[in-house]
Amino acid sequence: MDKLINKKTLEHLAELSRIKLDEKEEQKLLKDLEEILEYFNLLKEVDTENIKPLSGGTIKQSVFRGAEAKNEFKKEKLTEQFLENKDDYLKIPPVFE
Amino acid sequence: MELNLTIKKFHEGLQKKEFKAAEIAEDYYRKIAAEDEKIGAYLSLDKTDAISQAKKVDADLSADKEINFLAGAPLAIKDNILIENETATAASKILKHYRAAYDATVIKKLKEADAVFLGKTNLDEFAMGSSTENSGFKITHNPRDLERVPGGSSGGSAAAVAADLCVAALGSDTGGSIRQPAGFCRVVGLKPTYGAVSRFGLMAMASSLDQIGPITKTVEDAEILFNAIKGVDSLDSTSVDFKHKIQDPRFKIQGVTIGIPKEYFQEGGLSKEVSGGIDEAIKSFKKLGFEIKEISLPHTKYAVACYYIIMPAEASTNLARYDGLRYSRIKGEKITNLKEIYFDQRGEGFGPEVKKRIILGTFVLSSGYYDAYYAKAQKVRRLIKEDFEKAFDPSANGVDVILAPVAPTTAFKIGEKTTDPLEMYLSDIFTIPVNLAGLPAISIPVKKESGLPVGFQLIGKAFCEDEILSIGKQYENNV
Repeated sequence: MDKLINKKTLEHLAELSRIKLDEKEEQKLLKDLEEILEYFNLLKEVDTENIKPLSGGTIKQSVFRGAEAKNEFKKEKLTEQFLENKDDYLKIPPVFE
Repeated sequence: MELNLTIKKFHEGLQKKEFKAAEIAEDYYRKIAAEDEKIGAYLSLDKTDAISQAKKVDADLSADKEINFLAGAPLAIKDNILIENETATAASKILKHYRAAYDATVIKKLKEADAVFLGKTNLDEFAMGSSTENSGFKITHNPRDLERVPGGSSGGSAAAVAADLCVAALGSDTGGSIRQPAGFCRVVGLKPTYGAVSRFGLMAMASSLDQIGPITKTVEDAEILFNAIKGVDSLDSTSVDFKHKIQDPRFKIQGVTIGIPKEYFQEGGLSKEVSGGIDEAIKSFKKLGFEIKEISLPHTKYAVACYYIIMPAEASTNLARYDGLRYSRIKGEKITNLKEIYFDQRGEGFGPEVKKRIILGTFVLSSGYYDAYYAKAQKVRRLIKEDFEKAFDPSANGVDVILAPVAPTTAFKIGEKTTDPLEMYLSDIFTIPVNLAGLPAISIPVKKESGLPVGFQLIGKAFCEDEILSIGKQYENNV
């Protein structure tokens, strides 16, 4: 059987995840991920027909609430650690060039 | 130097004016300076704020003001929980220079109770690991045997409590990260019900599993700290308002049935030392008058596979925020291309385990594989939750609490499990099901004469922390 994650897929996933990997990291990841995915096959033997997915830990239902500004946080504290900060906004290089 | 204070002893000593809060804080800093080099529990210390907070409590006492039970108590906080103005790295290089902009809700509550924060403790990077060996900064050693790991991911907090480098600590538990290190270090650790404690200000790893909880020297202290941090919070929409149910603090031993899940002894490679310890604990509970009954949790063997799909999926999303732009930067050089900044900062800032989980999470969520992995895991998660519901079901003669081992082995040697990823993951087989089901569980050390620490868990029904705490205290006080 073909590997589920080959070098090309891994590089695509790393691209999507915005993570730079070197050659050594790629080799280690390919080996580890193969072993982990192989282990996931264990789930195939569980009969999940008619079982509803459980999406989260909470017993609460989603509810609507008003969008009110509370200003609980000091803005300058949140912005002072930005890579670049202009008038309390995050300054970044252009998205489209 | 022996301080050996619990929250309770500390509070009583303060009240009786046997010592001052500031003196005890100074003593702990001296002890940390002398002993933490070989243990490595702390990542950062904040002596100035801690001493000034302790002096405030001393001033209140001199003025004969009433003080809170936690007033002046020197605590250690896992470094993925935010304390305003203090470093909060989650043991990741990508947050090396980050200082928290606000308090986590648990910290806000503890500040209102006048507690003292000695410093921030080491963890596996972003709480991803079971040994604290994945920290981006240093390895923490188990105070009971320095060649061994303290467990993880709250290894720094458990080690700080075990080595008496604080009175008590906070950790976080996504798949066992409070209970397993507590078990490895012979201390007590409580993972509350999902929703019992606000997660606001805890750096999110897997939002549907994460909970903050206490790591302490006694069950009684775990109860004190849990009561101080629990409760509904408008800043965490999954937090729940709930009431204590038991009126009688002694609980009714005679009527209580403890379930022993047979699968935990058949699967998961339980070591002889652990199984011997668990047998001892079961015997003690029998002697105390509890009824013991074998139960079945048939989907136990699928929990680890289920967890290692759901957790990375959630983590890959949660960790997208670390973009090298908003939470300080790690490299000074100027890059003018946005995408390059992401690759550069994340490639450099994240360690191997974090990269692996982000990529694995991205894979299981990608189109074409979503149903086979993520949707399948969510269904198995429901079956695991239903296993517990059936075991607890009063109409089917269910049990009140479940007793189980915390980990299959005692603390392993540093470096022993770092090469094989699955071997490390499987060390959480007994703790993971509890997170998937959102239940509370407390890890308590087995009382035994010699050997490495062994912990047992008491798993309770949702929001019945009071029951497992009460039964835990029976063991603590009467065995």
